[in-house]
Amino acid sequence: MTDATMGQVRPERRLSVNWVDLGPFLALAALMVVGFLINPDFLAINNLTNVVTRSAFVAIIAVGATFVIASGGLDLSVGSMAAFVAGVMILFMNALAPELGTSAIPLGMLVVVAAGALCGLANGAITTIGRIEPFIVTLGTMGIFRALITYMSDGGTIPIDRSLRDAYRPIYFGDVLGIPVPILVSLAVAGAGAFILYRTKFGRRCIAVGANEEVARYSGVSVARIRTLAFVIQGICVGLAAICYVPRLGTATPTTGVLWELQVITAVVIGGTALRGGRGHIWGTIAGAVILEFIANLMVLSDFVSEYLVAAVQGAIIIVAMLVQRLSK
Amino acid sequence: MSRAAALEPVAPLAAPAVLAVRGIGKTYGANTVLSEIDLHIRAGEIHAVIGENGAGKSTFMKILSGHVAPTTGTLALGGRPVAFSGPAEAEAAGIVLVHQEILLADDLTVAENLFLGRELTRRGMIDDASMRRLTRERLASLGSSVSPDAIVGTLSLADRQLVQIARALLESHQLVIFDEPTAVLTSEEVETLLALVRQLRDAGAAILYISHRLDEVEALADRVTVLRDGRMVGSFDGAELTQADMARLMVGRELSTLYPPKGAVAIGEPRLEVENARVPGFIEDVSFTVRSGEILGFGGMIGAGRTELFEGILALRPGRVGALLVDGRAVRIARPIDAIEAGIGYLTEDRKGKGLLLDEGMAPNLTLSALSRFNPGLVLDGKREEAALGETIARYDIRVRARGVKAGQLSGGNQQKLLLAKVMMTDPSVVVIDEPTRGIDIGNKSQIYAFVQELARAGKACIVISSEMQELIGICDRLLVIRNGRIAGELAGEAMTEDAVVMLATGAAGQAGTRGETQA
Amino acid sequence: MTNRLMTAVAIGALLAAGSALAQERKTIAVSIPAADHGWTAGVVYHAEKAAEEVKAAFPGIDVVVKTSPTAPAQVSAIEDLAAGGNLDALVILPHSSEELTTPVQAIKEDGTFITVVDRGLTDPTIQDLYVAGDNIAVGQTTAEFLVDKLGGKGEVVVLRGIPTVIDDERIKGFEDGLKGSDIKILDIQYANWNRDDAFSLMQDYLAKYPKIDAVWANDDDMLLGVLEAIGQSSRTDIKYALGGNGMKEIIEKVMAGDAMTPIETPYPPSMIKTAIYMTAANLSGQVPIRGSVKLDAPLITKDNAQEYYFPDSPF
Repeated sequence: MTDATMGQVRPERRLSVNWVDLGPFLALAALMVVGFLINPDFLAINNLTNVVTRSAFVAIIAVGATFVIASGGLDLSVGSMAAFVAGVMILFMNALAPELGTSAIPLGMLVVVAAGALCGLANGAITTIGRIEPFIVTLGTMGIFRALITYMSDGGTIPIDRSLRDAYRPIYFGDVLGIPVPILVSLAVAGAGAFILYRTKFGRRCIAVGANEEVARYSGVSVARIRTLAFVIQGICVGLAAICYVPRLGTATPTTGVLWELQVITAVVIGGTALRGGRGHIWGTIAGAVILEFIANLMVLSDFVSEYLVAAVQGAIIIVAMLVQRLSK
Repeated sequence: MSRAAALEPVAPLAAPAVLAVRGIGKTYGANTVLSEIDLHIRAGEIHAVIGENGAGKSTFMKILSGHVAPTTGTLALGGRPVAFSGPAEAEAAGIVLVHQEILLADDLTVAENLFLGRELTRRGMIDDASMRRLTRERLASLGSSVSPDAIVGTLSLADRQLVQIARALLESHQLVIFDEPTAVLTSEEVETLLALVRQLRDAGAAILYISHRLDEVEALADRVTVLRDGRMVGSFDGAELTQADMARLMVGRELSTLYPPKGAVAIGEPRLEVENARVPGFIEDVSFTVRSGEILGFGGMIGAGRTELFEGILALRPGRVGALLVDGRAVRIARPIDAIEAGIGYLTEDRKGKGLLLDEGMAPNLTLSALSRFNPGLVLDGKREEAALGETIARYDIRVRARGVKAGQLSGGNQQKLLLAKVMMTDPSVVVIDEPTRGIDIGNKSQIYAFVQELARAGKACIVISSEMQELIGICDRLLVIRNGRIAGELAGEAMTEDAVVMLATGAAGQAGTRGETQA
Repeated sequence: MTNRLMTAVAIGALLAAGSALAQERKTIAVSIPAADHGWTAGVVYHAEKAAEEVKAAFPGIDVVVKTSPTAPAQVSAIEDLAAGGNLDALVILPHSSEELTTPVQAIKEDGTFITVVDRGLTDPTIQDLYVAGDNIAVGQTTAEFLVDKLGGKGEVVVLRGIPTVIDDERIKGFEDGLKGSDIKILDIQYANWNRDDAFSLMQDYLAKYPKIDAVWANDDDMLLGVLEAIGQSSRTDIKYALGGNGMKEIIEKVMAGDAMTPIETPYPPSMIKTAIYMTAANLSGQVPIRGSVKLDAPLITKDNAQEYYFPDSPF
């Protein structure tokens, strides 16, 4: 029995391969190989950067969603919230532009992050103080945010002031050392997210709250505060995504961010985070977001899927990706 | 002990067995959990299987009920060899299992639960009338008057247990297996259940009764099979065996040192003083004081509100206290964290549901209540956490194959030790331990008792809540008994006897037979 | 009949009737989808404009505009509008043909004049008047322009919207318009009438096809995404990127003589205005109007763009 007891038990090294963490990246690699076989253009550097850049919004929002889901919540309002805060940011920048010129842009960025945080705070506070299921709360705010952007735009378009357009464009279209800015932003957000989730007290408590709310409560963790903060982080991520999104088309419209919430949740789940909470895989989430965008890209680049069946094939690939992960456990 | 030493295993009788078990064994990988089990279970006989946790009782039961296939050996039912590929086959063959946990749908009625998955139909439509009539008859035959239309979630645990038994017995049965059926019952309810088991036996069924409550086994069993470390110690005649014999056979050693000696610790200043605690629905008015070095026990019937008393005091559920002093300082506890910061640690009775994150490793569990201690700057210090785990494993003798195992994979005893270590991470001056040894085998029990006494010796004030009277009497310096939401009495020293506790807990001292009042 | 002509007829009728019949007050209810994207926002804008103008021009007629976010909400809305029992006319742009047919029929049976706009009901006998744009022409006019400008040959990619009759008709019109030429459609994919989806799809088209002569997005919202993707790619092979619907941002481009987007085809949300005017004209009793009116989708060029430009409209 002695060999099985305490002192001799060696601390486990993190070097051992963790298949759950690796799963989404394997799936991504497999997808790249399949993509190349289908159409060699797939691996063209231009195509790859385009696709990864496009995935940035969903990836950034999904990092926030990883916190919400890991802590046992769910946020359906992110797509509408993105449209709403993007609209707020544009209106704010446009109002300041005549006086401040391009300095309106950084101020607008601060405003959009603050707006996102407030929206997240609203979601979190209603959920925790009101003791209502996050599914229902965010279903409600999803409608509210969507209606607000529609109202703000009269159902049409909120365009960014022409004088700001060119100065702001590089945030989506620019690059640093050849890497597009949105990719850098999403990596930075993921890095920060991973740090918070894995290395801080808050992250640990987030996981505990998601794994078992009662255990967390009995351990002296303030469940309401942790849940609310997770929603605030989600809101901040939505704000950051909006910063990258607006310069692409220069507008916010009532159709901005439609169905992003589903893409975000799918990315998180493909990334290995369980919907029931208690686990969070930030880097897997990023891989999940990229996988989703690659699948869409591949559907266009391949010739053998009828346009009518694209959605079916996408759905099937997502299910297969999940099955591969399940089996690799 | 001379009489016990003379006990000899009884050879199987020649009478035909309902179930003959021959050479049954089970191996997982290189790990043999059960080997060479031989026994006969006869009609009209209650056959108890006892053993410590990990002795192989549950594996054995799972093999008989078709949940697990044996690696070696054969089963013969009514003389014909059988091999079950699943519980449904075992059930079809007439082996029914009454689970330890209550597996009923809370939102359905009694009748709906009874017939769930095997509803009666009439011309293609659900035949409610017949099902309700049959339910009423079945329950009546078990001596219960529960309405077939009652919602199961509103019933007491004992009634739910009964419904579960009725459901198991709905199918024709030759062998009924009871797996720790009294774990959730109060002592009077236990009596009712034991009578029911006898009634089934007298009706001709073969009964396999698995329990670690030796008093029940002694009262009930016609035959007792003892398992130890996956092997059979032997089958014995129930009438010949005392509880002490059983304990000795299970453990393989004498148990004289289960409880540490008392009086070794000097009792000092008050560490926790609680005045006029009130918990709506459970506690009317309770005041008490516990001192440094003291182990104070809380006794009472299940449902008397002892757990709720402390959950109320510690802000884990709504409650109010008139005044609360820790080491003489007044403290207000509005949130659970306030209690931890004030130096009061609470070990919940619900280890799996409220104590530990079963899907997490040991280290995150250990440090969850005390993360600030592992957070020198902005970042959690993983090395410090690992070091703390190392110390904990050594200090509390937690036995694991690897450090990375999840808390859910630990045995009950190891989980309890981990939970104790987790609470101690917050360095409390007052430790409240709710059901310290529930579901723990004897070896771990004595260790836990020793730990509690060590805490007292270190000057902490300890509070123990337990439903096991022997345990309370064995380790506590003083005992408070709760009844009807108030303290019914205080016992100390020689006055702490089981009889005295029962009298206070049931109110029998004043008026006999008022047990019902103490029920929640 | 063109949009302009019909409107002229209607206004003429209104003015003639205005002085004659002021004593009996009549009510026109207008039921339209809520503004949830550019085109419906335009519908709301034009409906409200028309309501003001009709009420101002003719004090005897009251116009009530009601928007509904979903088909069931629209059913409730028209039932509420008709509940008073003195509804003289209903102008409706149905959310969906199937769900609205029966409720509209019930209102018709109370003697209410029914004008259906854009999307037909499943039973055309219910409507007294039907005003719609020509989706086939939207595709066909664009295709004919491309055949002409590309000299009858070239390679194009197409972005379509959401699987609906409108989408199918536009694609059919486009394919018909290309018939007989050597212009080849390289690819057709759905982009949900959404500019973000169109941006992504166009990027993918650009990655997949090294040479593209022209792009057609069957809706202007998508065209905006397409133009952004082309702009970023710095590709020079694309000669034309065209849309359809008459969105003001695109009309502005046409007016400015944009080289890549020199033309536009209208499917104007102002058709609701046409319908309201004509209904008002009928209600006056002076100009009985029955039948179907299909607004043409003429080519909008730099020369006539001003006519289709509503700077105050959200669309």
